[in-house]
Amino acid sequence: MKCLEIERTFDKYAEIAQDISLAEVRRWKSEHPGAKAIGYFPVYAPLEIIHACGMLPVGLNGAGDRLDIQYADARFGSFICSIVKTTLEMGMTGHFEPLDGMLFSTICDSARNLCYVIKRNFPQMYVDFLHLPHNPTSPATIELLRGEYARLEQQLVELGGLKPTDEALRHSIALYNENRALLRQLYAFRAASPHLVHSWELYTLMRAGNFVPVETHNEWLRQALHELPARTGKPRDSIRVVIEGSFCEQPPLDLIKLTEEAGCYIVDDDFILGRRWFTADVPLDGDPLTALAESYLNRAVYSSVRHDFRNPRHKALVEKTRRLNGQAVILLIAKFCEPALFDYVLFKRELEAAAIPHLLLEFEEKAFTFERLRSEVETFVESLLFD
Amino acid sequence: MRFAAGVDVGSTQTKAVIMGANGGDAPRLVARALVDTGANVQKAAEHGFVVACKEAGIPAGAVGFVVGTGYGRYKITFGNAQMTEITCHARGAAFLCPGTRTVIDMGGQDSKAISIGAKGEVLDFVMNDKCAAGTGRFLANAADVMGISLDEVGPLSLRGKQPVKITTVCTVFVESDILSYLAQGKKPEDILNGVHLAIARRTVSLARRVPIEPQITMTGGVARNLGMVRALEQVLGATLQVSAEAHFTGAIGAALFALEKMDQSFASAAGRPAHA
Amino acid sequence: MSAKSEYRSQIHQLQKKLMERWYARLDEAAGTGSPPTVAMMISGNCVELLEGFGAVPLYPEVNALQLAIRHQSLEPILLAEELGYAADNCAYVKADIGCMLKGVTPTGGKLPVPTLVLCNFVGCNTYIKWFEHEAELQGAPLYMLDVPFFRTEHPRREDIDYVVHQIKETVSKMEELTGRKFDYDRFQQAVRCSAEVEEMWSRIKRLAQKTPSPFDAYFDAITLMGPLYVYRGTPEGVEFFRVALQEMEEKVARGEGIYDQEKFRLVIEGPPPYPYFRTFRDMFAKWKACAVASTYSTVGGLWEFGFRHDPDNPFEAVALHMLAHNVTNRNYLQRYDQIRRYVEEWGAHGVIIHFVKSCRLFSAGQGDMRDYFTRTLGIPTLYLESDLEDPRYFAEAQTRNRIDAFFEALEHAQATGISMSMEKPASSPALKVIS
Repeated sequence: MKCLEIERTFDKYAEIAQDISLAEVRRWKSEHPGAKAIGYFPVYAPLEIIHACGMLPVGLNGAGDRLDIQYADARFGSFICSIVKTTLEMGMTGHFEPLDGMLFSTICDSARNLCYVIKRNFPQMYVDFLHLPHNPTSPATIELLRGEYARLEQQLVELGGLKPTDEALRHSIALYNENRALLRQLYAFRAASPHLVHSWELYTLMRAGNFVPVETHNEWLRQALHELPARTGKPRDSIRVVIEGSFCEQPPLDLIKLTEEAGCYIVDDDFILGRRWFTADVPLDGDPLTALAESYLNRAVYSSVRHDFRNPRHKALVEKTRRLNGQAVILLIAKFCEPALFDYVLFKRELEAAAIPHLLLEFEEKAFTFERLRSEVETFVESLLFD
Repeated sequence: MRFAAGVDVGSTQTKAVIMGANGGDAPRLVARALVDTGANVQKAAEHGFVVACKEAGIPAGAVGFVVGTGYGRYKITFGNAQMTEITCHARGAAFLCPGTRTVIDMGGQDSKAISIGAKGEVLDFVMNDKCAAGTGRFLANAADVMGISLDEVGPLSLRGKQPVKITTVCTVFVESDILSYLAQGKKPEDILNGVHLAIARRTVSLARRVPIEPQITMTGGVARNLGMVRALEQVLGATLQVSAEAHFTGAIGAALFALEKMDQSFASAAGRPAHA
Repeated sequence: MSAKSEYRSQIHQLQKKLMERWYARLDEAAGTGSPPTVAMMISGNCVELLEGFGAVPLYPEVNALQLAIRHQSLEPILLAEELGYAADNCAYVKADIGCMLKGVTPTGGKLPVPTLVLCNFVGCNTYIKWFEHEAELQGAPLYMLDVPFFRTEHPRREDIDYVVHQIKETVSKMEELTGRKFDYDRFQQAVRCSAEVEEMWSRIKRLAQKTPSPFDAYFDAITLMGPLYVYRGTPEGVEFFRVALQEMEEKVARGEGIYDQEKFRLVIEGPPPYPYFRTFRDMFAKWKACAVASTYSTVGGLWEFGFRHDPDNPFEAVALHMLAHNVTNRNYLQRYDQIRRYVEEWGAHGVIIHFVKSCRLFSAGQGDMRDYFTRTLGIPTLYLESDLEDPRYFAEAQTRNRIDAFFEALEHAQATGISMSMEKPASSPALKVIS
């Protein structure tokens, strides 16, 4: 690709995305004295509410390979995913300092227990657990979730946040609607022209948004959308793949890079899925909290951490792959990730019935030797190209 | 002098120790023996005991009580009693290094951390007994792969100034990591330093489940490896005490218990108070 | 000489009969389609609801438990792994699904395709996947009864209302599926029976506060848990617990424990290693250690601290039980507190934490739990690791070693200053001279 101004920014985004010292968060706090930063564990959190209270939501996706686990192992045993341990390790080594609170939700048992371990060990922080519902068809569910959002809002206000008016909430929703729309457009751009943007670039741009205000992130996204189409490049003989299973603990950047180097174009993925949770704009009319709750249930992507059998996710994966002209699916699953490993069974069944080739790869966020994974992906690609 | 013995049957080596006491004096180490365990645990225990008696210059019958410990402890048929090596290591470490509050033991196949009280009593312990990543076996494999003798790995590792990063936790997979680094032209001392640090991190990570308080004493066969001691100190940020008799800590603890038990039974038989 | 602990008596026989009758009814349902059956999870189960339809509960967890305890769990686990289940997925699920695929059951009788797969989601996220798979692989209808996690200090009105609403939707769904009208009076009567059973079960549990305890609140609780989950809302259940309570009270009156002399009292956290149930029990029996309380026996419901189903408000009572009064829907710190109360109110010498590979709900973070008990409260705590269902994850020698070391230390602490009593191995003769 021809080098443009945009090239230099992706390295910057990569650094921000992986920075466990939370430098951007500290900078924001120094620019807004007295304002609070609220960390949230994957997958989804109602960022609009945090924003409307005048606080900065900070997305936590583990410490990757930047922290050696020295203390967290003593609290969580074996057979537990790395992100749970590196998140606790961050806390135990002082990296939570700029955060005033942390949110967790119903994604899995390990994450939920982590919430309470953190609560005990960091009593000075506001630590809360949101019940995100698993019954999307009951008429009572929207009200339950709206009530949960109201409870969160109240807690944030007690923590020192501004009590948001409906207008303020709608304003925040509008900003995040734009954020999601821009991301959707970027993903569509990549699916249409995967030779003009590396997946690792899109990924770091998206993940860097975890640490900066949404207004800033929207600027970055707009810039990318504006400049990327100006790139030139030749399409490679790569296979179009959909990546499924990396919605919480994130694969190392090098692993994302090597997947493309080994001959794949990633046409869709579930990296940092919570930032792209809604498939369409959250409506701005009516009660904003109700709009958010209703959208969570009815305008949401399928996910391994949310039960919704109206269109079961194993069917939705096949539909999505076909819609994007995907040739294969790579189930890229963090070691010990229960929800993803369970879903693999039904995904596999459905993909086999649909005759879509697929590959299962397990990773750890803190790996940094990839010889074996590279071989597996190359072998997979070869088997498809030379069929 | 009264004599008692402790026999510690480990996975690779068997250690036997004779302790003696005169009147109300403190017990002292009279003799020790080290033999390979091999396939026959019972024979190894007997052999070790016999050698230790010879070393002490006393007939076997002069030993008033024998306590067996280690994984093979139930097979020591000539013993009077058996106790876990955790309890024995605690007692032995307190004897060898008075003031010990934390024991870190790295053996051939398992590693453990023990929090002990003033008299060497066990307050809390944690063991890694299902994975060899923090044990002597990891080191032995690394040494094998590099064609270096186990005695040399410690001193050589100390010369490494730029330790390589080892993240694999599998003692088998570390071999391919090492080969990869050798192929890249990394210096053996840097590789070994990296291996030692990786083991130290795993061990300390395990040890942090119990309170780590000074004095910290290292016991077990791996304590003879100065490279390992230094790596642990680096990761812990504290100095370790290592006795010259580190390898015999378990057997010494067992022998001390044997002495006590012997004194109890004599005292109760004679209606006299036991020696302290 | 390793001691054995046993508790065999009238209720053992009664329990066997009740469980056999239950399996027989399931076999009947498999053959004839009647009575209707509802697959449910043990945790916070709403078995009372089924009485309103004359339906029989089907518990995949009990299926898995039975397989493991009869040493039959490995084969179905392997079969499930062939289908794509991971080594790191919960082995309870794998064993149950494996059995379903093979069409076998632990007892040899048939198990029906349930009329309704009712996922009572009370904290355990694995349940959601398990029941999605049960429904999908059997083609049975699924209802997800989403119980909000107990994350506030007191149960919220919004949460209770949400659960009640879904319970009523479940009722409508069952009417649709069975063609039977919901019998509110029978349901209310079932709730009444539950309240009686809970009262007696709580009293039985409180008898373990006596020294010696008349039963082991971990290993023996398993016997009582079957009828508790299957027959809680029935007169048979009430009768069973009446007999059980009477037996226990008589034991207490006689000062009878499970050993000739109870030496150590423990609180045990986590499920047992079912494939090695007997072996594991003997490791504690050797030291004459008796569990006086356990968290695992409160999976179906936590009643010893006073909660009872209120028959005057049956729907709300069921909702409250599911929301706040079972160990799985309660948060981790509430579990620490539960164990602490057991240690204090039941008088225990120490805590055993049994980490099981399969179950993240119980096990993720038990290292922190251990830290709380040893460092913050100064209570001797032993950490053991294995699995509840998969026989490949039990290291017998190592487990025994850890248990022995723990009791050696406890024993020394009890004796304080006096030398420990040590045990001779059975086969050792007196010291012999070796030449």
